[in-house]
Amino acid sequence: MSASTTTPPPPPPAPTDGATPLQRRPRQNNEAWSWFFMRISGLVLVFLALTHFSLTHIVNDVTDTDARFVAERWDNPLWRLFDWALLVLALLHGLNGLRWIIDDYVRSSAKRAVTKSVLYSVSFALLGYGTLTIVTFSA
Amino acid sequence: MSPERGSVYRGGSGQWAFVTHRITGFLVFFFLLLHIVDVSLVSRPEVYDEVHELYGNVLLRLFEVGLLFGLVFHSLNGLRIVMLDFFPGGVRNEKRALSTVLFLTIVFTLVGGYVIMKPFIDGRIL
Repeated sequence: MSASTTTPPPPPPAPTDGATPLQRRPRQNNEAWSWFFMRISGLVLVFLALTHFSLTHIVNDVTDTDARFVAERWDNPLWRLFDWALLVLALLHGLNGLRWIIDDYVRSSAKRAVTKSVLYSVSFALLGYGTLTIVTFSA
Repeated sequence: MSPERGSVYRGGSGQWAFVTHRITGFLVFFFLLLHIVDVSLVSRPEVYDEVHELYGNVLLRLFEVGLLFGLVFHSLNGLRIVMLDFFPGGVRNEKRALSTVLFLTIVFTLVGGYVIMKPFIDGRIL
């Protein structure tokens, strides 16, 4: 058998970190989780936020939702849980959304650091404050 | 999208949905911050009721109709985004889904807005 008819050796594999292009997946990082969190929290919030708004503005007039209304509602721990879930999910969903907006539009890294610090401080302070309101309330 | 526009995702109805989604999300977030503070007054019922009464005046009722619009649009358009991201065939229905989002947003805002403004329409408040 002459050398010209032998099968040429396969070309060296391209550097793909040991995987073919089809097997390669995008690297998972925190941004993938933040993307996923927005979808899941969003789906839950459609129910929580629209129920909350309907009860406080459509079913009841806004002027009827006074301190007594809140006291009667929060007599039931399940309503406290409902309101707390709404508080936590809406704040984190909004915080992450604003983080994306800052990343997109605040171009200087110094300003980005400042606006994000303010955003995180205000959000987590109000998350704690709101939680305290719901947990410590007694009629 | 027409080829003259190139491959950049820009200027179509989807881009307007994206912009509106951001603006409504931004505004609802700031209302939430305010709302956490006003609800915290509930530990002192007299103060809470005094501040809360403001939500009944006509200007704040209009603001509440705006909030309803923002909430409903952001919710329904969010469902459209979930459809695009999680269902591979969803992108084919993207335009129709956006029309549905807009139609339902307008219907819910008008119906809810009527209920919210009713005390003003009936002349019970100024």
